[in-house]
Amino acid sequence: MNSDSSFPRRPIPLGVIVMIAAAIHAPLLIMELPARTSYDANFHMFFASHYAQHWFNPWNEKWFAGFSQTTYPPLVHQWIALVSRVIGLNEAFSVVMLIAVLLIPVATYGFAKLWVDERAASYAALLSVFAGTVAFLTYSAGQLPTMMSAPLYFIALSYFYRWSHSAEGGSLWKGVALTLTAASAHHVTLIFGAVLFALPVLWLAAMDGPQDGRSRVAVVARALAFAALSAAGVGIVLLPYWISIIQHPITQIPIPHASRSNLLMSAPIFMNYFIVPYGLLILAFPFIVIRGASVPRLRVLLLAFWVTFLIGLGGTTPFPKWIFGRAFEILTFERFILWATLLALPIVGLLVEEWVDRSGGRAMAGIGFAAVGTLALAMGWLTWSPFRPTGGLNVDAAVEFLNRDGHDQYRYMTLGFGNALPKISTYANAGSVDGEYNSARLLPEMTNYGAGQFTSAKYFGTAGMESLRAMLKHANHYGLKFIFVYDPYYDPLLVFAGWRKVETYNSGQITAWSKEDVPPARKIASDAMPAPWEGLLWGILPLGSSLLAIVLMVLIPDRVRAVDNLVTIPSTADEGVYAREARP
Amino acid sequence: MKAFLPLFIGLVTAGLVAMAWVESGGLALHEMRSAGTPQEAVEALVTDIQSRNWDRAYARLANSNDFEKQAFIRDLAGSSGSLRTYSSLESFKVWPVEAGADDATMRVRLNWSSAVGPLDDVRDLEVKKEGNVWKVVWPKPQFAKVPPQVIPVNYLRWDVIGRGPTDDWGVQNVDNPNVRITSMNAVERPDRVVIVGEVVNEDTVPAYVNVNATLLNSDSKPMDQEGSFDMISHTLLPRQVSPYRIDFPGFHLQQVKSVRMDVKAMLVPASADPVIAVTDQKMDKDPLGKNVLRGALVNQSGQTVNIAQVLADYYDANGRVIWVSDGYVDQALEPQVAVPFAVDVPDDVASKIHNYHVLVNHYSIHEGS
Amino acid sequence: MLRLTACLLLLMRLAAFGEVHPPAQVTAGKGFSISTTGSGDASFYLISPGHVAKREVKLGQDIPVDASDVKKAGRYLAIACGSGGCNSAAFYVMAAEPDKVSFFLHPSRVRVKSNDAINATAFVFDQFYNLVLTPVTVDFKVIPKTGPPIDRPIKSNLGVAWMRVASTPKQGPVKVIAEVGKASEPRVIQQVASDACNLRIKATRTAKAVLIETDPLRDCSGNAIPDGTIVSFTEIDGKGKTTVDVPIKKGIARTQLPVNGRAKISVASGVVIGNEISLGGGL
Repeated sequence: MNSDSSFPRRPIPLGVIVMIAAAIHAPLLIMELPARTSYDANFHMFFASHYAQHWFNPWNEKWFAGFSQTTYPPLVHQWIALVSRVIGLNEAFSVVMLIAVLLIPVATYGFAKLWVDERAASYAALLSVFAGTVAFLTYSAGQLPTMMSAPLYFIALSYFYRWSHSAEGGSLWKGVALTLTAASAHHVTLIFGAVLFALPVLWLAAMDGPQDGRSRVAVVARALAFAALSAAGVGIVLLPYWISIIQHPITQIPIPHASRSNLLMSAPIFMNYFIVPYGLLILAFPFIVIRGASVPRLRVLLLAFWVTFLIGLGGTTPFPKWIFGRAFEILTFERFILWATLLALPIVGLLVEEWVDRSGGRAMAGIGFAAVGTLALAMGWLTWSPFRPTGGLNVDAAVEFLNRDGHDQYRYMTLGFGNALPKISTYANAGSVDGEYNSARLLPEMTNYGAGQFTSAKYFGTAGMESLRAMLKHANHYGLKFIFVYDPYYDPLLVFAGWRKVETYNSGQITAWSKEDVPPARKIASDAMPAPWEGLLWGILPLGSSLLAIVLMVLIPDRVRAVDNLVTIPSTADEGVYAREARP
Repeated sequence: MKAFLPLFIGLVTAGLVAMAWVESGGLALHEMRSAGTPQEAVEALVTDIQSRNWDRAYARLANSNDFEKQAFIRDLAGSSGSLRTYSSLESFKVWPVEAGADDATMRVRLNWSSAVGPLDDVRDLEVKKEGNVWKVVWPKPQFAKVPPQVIPVNYLRWDVIGRGPTDDWGVQNVDNPNVRITSMNAVERPDRVVIVGEVVNEDTVPAYVNVNATLLNSDSKPMDQEGSFDMISHTLLPRQVSPYRIDFPGFHLQQVKSVRMDVKAMLVPASADPVIAVTDQKMDKDPLGKNVLRGALVNQSGQTVNIAQVLADYYDANGRVIWVSDGYVDQALEPQVAVPFAVDVPDDVASKIHNYHVLVNHYSIHEGS
Repeated sequence: MLRLTACLLLLMRLAAFGEVHPPAQVTAGKGFSISTTGSGDASFYLISPGHVAKREVKLGQDIPVDASDVKKAGRYLAIACGSGGCNSAAFYVMAAEPDKVSFFLHPSRVRVKSNDAINATAFVFDQFYNLVLTPVTVDFKVIPKTGPPIDRPIKSNLGVAWMRVASTPKQGPVKVIAEVGKASEPRVIQQVASDACNLRIKATRTAKAVLIETDPLRDCSGNAIPDGTIVSFTEIDGKGKTTVDVPIKKGIARTQLPVNGRAKISVASGVVIGNEISLGGGL
């Protein structure tokens, strides 16, 4: 057991870790679990369905009486659209999500190897498979772009280190291509990642450089070159996005989001945004801080984790408000938990290594229990959570209604459908005045009230109901004739406002309402409509950057490391190189 | 550094969490829950009501022995599918009316978010000191009981069979009802132009009615179009008259050359029940000194009306409609039970009112529409 | 269709050969022959407003045209194309005998004793739904529920005949029939009571309130006001005003109102105002 050649003392092969990740997540994703249990899966499939039909036209008439999809980076949606041509939309979403989930341990492994030795890095990668935040974002939040861009960006950072530190030309191109790909999947990850992840890595490269006989100035210069290339690339690849955000900066009244609240003021919210995503990793926090502080090499990583952790707490501390200002009211903070976890995992891997060395099987059993418990809690929360989404609702009848008898001449709205709304939008020909993507909303009936979707109006209190009333008042202007109701809470308002119940579906669960005097919908003029050349760029560059990244990864193999050259420093050491990357 | 950094991280994190806790009202909540002043006692009670923590709210009452907890809950959370059952307490404001050493009167304005829009409820609450703690004397909930009885109802209902899609060309449909706008008046308000008036169903069948108005500028070009929305009774029985009001926020009369009115009437199935009497109507002042039209609604039918809306139009000495206001009643209309209502009237309008007409719109869960 | 015609005309201009001679006027749905000159094989086209027919014919022989090929009234073009080119002639197909009538009666409900309130319009068609443009007499028969029927023959103009007629004093269904030859199309219009006339109420005291009910409600022609019509009662007493909108049921409107002290009670229905009664105190 204590022999160096025994299993627990060797790094776990990355292939094995990926296989474990696949064994756990592939069945759940093949079951299309996120489509039923997550908030955003239907939303991403809706975006993808538009690309599947109109690849080069990002103007989507189906929400908000018309909006531009250039307001959201398109890469994952375009990949879903491509794959859906072969296997269908739901399945395509699952496949792309599975790729993201499998990339998480790969990215964690590569990133952790920058900070700790290979064995600790392998433990970190293995634990990432069981991370509560991964399960939370995959099955509960359904945030595919975050899930995809985070590992891509962490892998890019490994190349960023290599290029900055060792001037490996291949690493520069692969790193930049992966950065563009990550940005094409989710721009927010890139923007925050530049500070929270890239700066610590730059610091590490700058620290390691002189010790390996390289000029620190050169390291920094190379890093700046990498950053400049990436910035220029992201500027071009996402140009239509930047145009849309400059043309229509987000000025709407902030919409409340639970992740922005003080988690300590509500037990269910605390559970949802702290206990579940961190799981039993919470027990390791003191050790992470102590261990991270005790090793100079890890201190910057610790600080990055701490800052990200504080931001991830949302309104539980004033810190995010201080640094983001008004942007605090636009951001949601659950993604910071994923990033904090990924930043903490190298240190956790190190702790695990030490515990296994010290206590052998008992430590492994305990850590295994904690890992499985964390994953189990996140999966169980899908059932126990009071915030259960309604994505699994059967909306076939509503879709069928909208697609017959010329009903698609009019616009429609849903009430009480929650995140089943995108499912209707995906399959119905008619357009809606509602939509799930808050940043693309330009209709004054939505932006002036500080409430989210009409379909969930009641959860935003007076603001939500006033926003809904404003839209219903202008029903004739928008051609809003049909309303589907899954929550009888809204019935009285519809009756008093002059709508009449016309059909009932799903044993009375869903009702269709109509207003008799509404004229057919007409196009609502908008200056947010992208130019044709923007559609062309949008259809080519993001996907092109991902294809370029794949080609470069295949054509330019990573330099092989000499494992026997790995420097392993006793874990108690607190000065000098701790577990630096080996050189051939 | 080895010891400093963990200490620093720990202390700063704890400090930040504490700051946010205080900022979020955690400290105030803690103090309020101690109910050391009449203000805190009422705030604590209303906070518990807001979070629907009925056990704790009930325990805060000085007179909890006078009535059952269920009656207290019913008083606040509503019953019988009333509008209150579709409401949640969004915010509140408490201020003193009278304060003594051992008792005080506090006034609380409860802002409810409801299915039909915001609702305000102003109540005066007596507060008593018991030891070091102040407790609220909650007005004993009174629920009228209807004696068991049989109410004969001759259901009168209209159903419509329209022209079928397979009918030959030339097979005529049933005509839409004949509906007429009998009066229209454009009123200038500080922040808007308001069109008020009345519409009558002159036909012998029920009509679905919606009134739209378009403001035209000096070039006779449309400036804005709005509809009557919920400020009208959309279903009008034969010879029934409904007031309507159409608001144009952000416009002034001087910008308007003319108004184009458009009344849409369609034949719809309808029922002649329930019949709701509006009793004891009079102009009055509310506790805050605002002008209101008060009265009570009596459901003369045998089935509960879950939500009622009062629509009132006011006439000047010349018989012209000068204002239309509305109010939703948060209690259900149980058969034969009088339920009070009050609708706001602007002060400048109140002085010109010579007469008024009240109409009741209703929603019943079993009807749905 | 136009493109095809244009092409064929172009071909005809290129070269003329044997001619076609259709009759100048043909009745819809009746077969006839088109005589031709020349010799040899040719393609014969018959272009009608509804369809195009083509078949191979021998020039110099009569070309029989089936009744089924001339169902639609309008201008037809007969074209014969052979090796020497094409030739054509136009002829008209007129509607056949009147056989059907499409009848519009407006409105579907009308108040009694209203002048020119009923508008009847009939379109005359032959059996193939061609509008019969030649003047024909349409017989409009107005049959009220009570009273003598009215018969009014109207000559059609370009296929349309119309009339206006006043509603009778008695409510109830009125049958209006438009007849052309054997074709007869009935419609029913509902004559409904007009505004209430002589609207009166009476009050009866009960233990806690006063029961108010109208006399049976009738219009000035004696027709009962239909059930469901709203009657508004207003009572003004010491506690304020009480109003209630009551639908008529079984011919009368009835309600109970609480009374406090002296009270005045009035009644109205639409624009009609009824009597007012005063009640003394002590109820």
